[in-house]
Amino acid sequence: MSVTRLIERLLQLVPVLLGVSVIVFVMMALTPGDPVEIMIGDQLVTPEQEERMRRDLGLDRPMVERYFVFLGNALQFDFGTSFYHRRPVSDVIIERLPATIELTLMAMIIALVTAIPLGVLAAVKKNSIFDRIATVGSLLGVSLPGFWFGILLLMLFAVQLNLLPVAGRVAYEHGVTVRPITHFLLIDSLIQGQFAAFRNALAHIILPAITLGLPMTAILMRVTRTAMLEVLRADYITFAEAKGLNRQRILWRHALKNALIPTVTVAAMETGSLLGGNMIVETVFGWPGLGRLVVESIFVRNYPLVQAAVLLYAVTYVLLNFLADILYTVLNPRVKL
Amino acid sequence: MKMLHRTLVASALVLATAAPAVQAQTLIVGFTRDADTLDPANHRNRETETIIRNIHDGVVTRSSDMMIHPEIAESFTQVSPTVYDFVIRAGVKFHDGTEMTIDDVKFTFDRLLNEGGMGDGQTSPRGALLGPVESVEIVEGNTLRFTLSEPWPLLPAMLPHQQIVSKAHVEAVGSTALATDPVGTGPFRLAEWRRGESVVMERFDDYYGGAPGIPEAGPACVERVIFQVIPESASRVAALLSGDVHIINELPPFSMNQVANSPNTEVMTVNGTRSFFLAMNNQGDIFDDVRVRHAVAHAIDRDLIIDRILNGTASRIDGILSPDAFGKNHDLPAYEFDPERSRALLAEAGYPDGISVTLDTTGPMRDIAEAIAALLTNAGINTQVQVGEGTLMNQKWQTRGGPKEGDMFLSSWGNSTLDPFDIFGPTHGTDARGNSAGYSNPELDALLDAAAVELDRARRGEMYREAEAMASADLPYVYLWVPQDIYGVSTRLSNWSPSPDSRINLHRACLD
Amino acid sequence: MSFASDARAPADSLFRRNLRAFAANRLAFGSAIVVLIFVVMAVFAPWIAPHDPAATDLFRRLQPPAWMEGGDWAFPLGCDALGRDILSRIIYGARISIFIGVAVILVATVVGILAGLAAGYLRGWVDIVISRIVDILLGFPYLIFAIGLMAMMGPGLANIILVMAYKEWVIPCRVVRGETLAVRELEYVEAARAVGASDRHIMLREILPNILSPVLVVATIRMADVIILEAALSFLGLGVQPPTASWGAMVADGRAFILESWWVSTFPGVAILLLVLAINVASQGLRDAFDPRFSE
Repeated sequence: MSVTRLIERLLQLVPVLLGVSVIVFVMMALTPGDPVEIMIGDQLVTPEQEERMRRDLGLDRPMVERYFVFLGNALQFDFGTSFYHRRPVSDVIIERLPATIELTLMAMIIALVTAIPLGVLAAVKKNSIFDRIATVGSLLGVSLPGFWFGILLLMLFAVQLNLLPVAGRVAYEHGVTVRPITHFLLIDSLIQGQFAAFRNALAHIILPAITLGLPMTAILMRVTRTAMLEVLRADYITFAEAKGLNRQRILWRHALKNALIPTVTVAAMETGSLLGGNMIVETVFGWPGLGRLVVESIFVRNYPLVQAAVLLYAVTYVLLNFLADILYTVLNPRVKL
Repeated sequence: MKMLHRTLVASALVLATAAPAVQAQTLIVGFTRDADTLDPANHRNRETETIIRNIHDGVVTRSSDMMIHPEIAESFTQVSPTVYDFVIRAGVKFHDGTEMTIDDVKFTFDRLLNEGGMGDGQTSPRGALLGPVESVEIVEGNTLRFTLSEPWPLLPAMLPHQQIVSKAHVEAVGSTALATDPVGTGPFRLAEWRRGESVVMERFDDYYGGAPGIPEAGPACVERVIFQVIPESASRVAALLSGDVHIINELPPFSMNQVANSPNTEVMTVNGTRSFFLAMNNQGDIFDDVRVRHAVAHAIDRDLIIDRILNGTASRIDGILSPDAFGKNHDLPAYEFDPERSRALLAEAGYPDGISVTLDTTGPMRDIAEAIAALLTNAGINTQVQVGEGTLMNQKWQTRGGPKEGDMFLSSWGNSTLDPFDIFGPTHGTDARGNSAGYSNPELDALLDAAAVELDRARRGEMYREAEAMASADLPYVYLWVPQDIYGVSTRLSNWSPSPDSRINLHRACLD
Repeated sequence: MSFASDARAPADSLFRRNLRAFAANRLAFGSAIVVLIFVVMAVFAPWIAPHDPAATDLFRRLQPPAWMEGGDWAFPLGCDALGRDILSRIIYGARISIFIGVAVILVATVVGILAGLAAGYLRGWVDIVISRIVDILLGFPYLIFAIGLMAMMGPGLANIILVMAYKEWVIPCRVVRGETLAVRELEYVEAARAVGASDRHIMLREILPNILSPVLVVATIRMADVIILEAALSFLGLGVQPPTASWGAMVADGRAFILESWWVSTFPGVAILLLVLAINVASQGLRDAFDPRFSE
């Protein structure tokens, strides 16, 4: 990828982020509901105090002024103060980020590990009964509401079999001994050799990660299968076969390597939608991630937090697509044999 | 898929053998929501307060039977209608080992009351919970004087909602850092707050023992307490049944049997303080007729809904006040279930063929709204339910006297003091914040204003009883019920009972 | 992905050949039949359903399915929290769920085709503007966008459909734009241009019929996703209004009862599973048959 292309792609970020910021700001501004009223609920208050709270939160300023103040501050990475937490929005978001990213990556890993072998086998045994079962089976994952599947998993593994914990990232006794280095519990516990903590964290993450990753499995399996079929038809494979190379070796070494290009690309792109789609899983499994926080914040009109989080999602989305682009170009220099 | 399933079971088994038994001395509460902040002066959220009150103590507190007990204060006296004196206890320690003094208490209240008192030009959102308190001054030695701008009998009942912070600590770290780094005088000190996941607290061994009026003082029984955030109710129940947690709040009524029938868990209930009602748009052209409002009341079988949907865990009310509230009128007309009477009243009001209306409500009350709608439809009041986000519905209905769209609104109002002051005025006063019905009765307004400052307790109670009778005749709302708060607890838990004000006080709770 | 830009056969006979290919795929064809059965069920709901789906009876609250203790064959799949017949509600619920799926996809596809054709054929500033809008919308996480809009617009079936369509059109738009870019330089388009056909004529009469196949495939796949998405909105309390219930709303409302009354959410959940799975399998079949990239 040339440098100009790189700069060009990065410049494309600007209008997208600007557009996203305008839309989310206008959306929140046009949404009925007064954050102060919601915060007070049915507790005692005086009109004077409500006025003062509005002033403290900056809600007494006109909308356009608020937008430009927000934009100006955002350019300096100051996203304001969360109405409810009374701390900088950036702090509140960053605290929740590791949990969300860890869950997303785990889900993606589970999806990849399941999807690639299934996709390859389905392609090799095209139209066989295995292909059909793998196809339908993987489609099951996109065919049921995630929250329902998650609750079913909980009932089975946590209540009926009592094998796995219901909520949280790690039991306190285990988590307390792990020093945060990367803030990803699985990695931190592993590099510090704390295997009990690692197992406990794994027991916590496994059900939410499966729930979140299931739909992705179907998509990735289809991509792998299609790519594999295409590769298997390519001349160089036919040529290699004609040369009498071992078929297994052709399949897993040469064919898969090239078939993986679209799979990896799609996986990188879809990680973005996975990141933005985990609020439901986080609710069901009491997972302390960002998605749940953002949804709760929309309902209570915590504008600064919603604005900052949506911008973060947008940046992530654009960067992941960018990454997918790079991956595609780097991996692709067509056939190497 | 099948292979996947087998792998899942297998790996789950491997993981399970590694999961340790929860240590006996860690008490875990499965809780609906994380705290917003751990600064007692910087929030307006009930769940946040529930968590904070295990770390911070107040000047006074309430016992499970809603009696006010001095806590940080040794005693208090009302010197005059507008002056209260609190004698602050000696020998109370903060979690950082420093001695708590009367200066800390004064600082706490100055921070709540003063404009800009939080620093950075910010004012505490909790100031208005102190009503007409004007100033807090040290008069002599250990006596702190609260001066009010007008008489306010509610002061002692509202004070448990404010907790004492350390002056030195707040001045050292500032309000923003205090949110995550609290130093209180409560039975537990913060060990770690894992945002969004759990608030972990450890026993404070130098605890002075809490309110002497509530027995068995001394340091807490358990070594560690964890508030584990589990927002989804089915998951919360699952965590209790599987033994992951020992107390859960907001146990749904339909899960009571499941919890009660399990050998390791049981149900605990306490009378709540929240009144549910059906607001009718008194300004609209259907419900401006009191006969139509009476017709609605006769059409709703409250006992049936309490029995079938709420599993018997609610007390029927005929006025806005809870049966446990001060000033409750126990002789109100009952508006018994009588659909024929409803039809007759409708006919009398000029609607022989019935009426068609919509019933607004919010998600959590959808079931009840649909049951009410079915009952109303059955009595000739053809009702369509409309469910909306709480914020949108409140915006639509709580117009403070502004024009109002809509027919009926199923809603509720809390009353954590069980004193009529913070529920009657807000829901029935002309143009008041929570007056969803748009009701206006100058005579009632005058009575409520007088009762708010009446210091003779007997006279005050009489005034509220009269007010309830007036409201019952006008019937701006159909008063429905006050539900119990339902908790699920492990049978290993002892010496804990829920509080009506939704405090989860774990000071005395033990695990075997 | 490379696009097989061979000269196109007349659209009509190609369509028939593809249809035959689809019918030959037994799994996909069977799935299409399943979808058809659900559609028939939805259309004829008033004649099929044994009870009024809105009729409550609190004395039948959470009554178990017929074959369990306390069940009653008059209510084969049991009753929900208000004593309503679950079977009847599923039959009527098919109407709402399928309607939402079809309506969203219809709106989104029409808008997406027009925007995609304009961007891909006209190029220039039209392309730039549309592509930027697409980029911005894609930058929003779907659910957060939907929740924000629902909060802004308020509840209601029409709003649910609009909220989903606001973002959904982007997907057919991208597909159409890509396909249009690929065919706009082909001979038959050039030929039309040479005889002085208007842009509108070329886009709608020449290009559109030749790129419909991939659009159709994408539309069916996305319809399945929309039905699932509606369930997610219901989970967050932003679903359709009572007393009518979509399947998603039934599963979402019933999930709280799952420990003691599993049937309340399980049967509508199975209904979603069957329909969406059938749509997905059928659309895979469609893709294999209709999309030249995947044919043999």
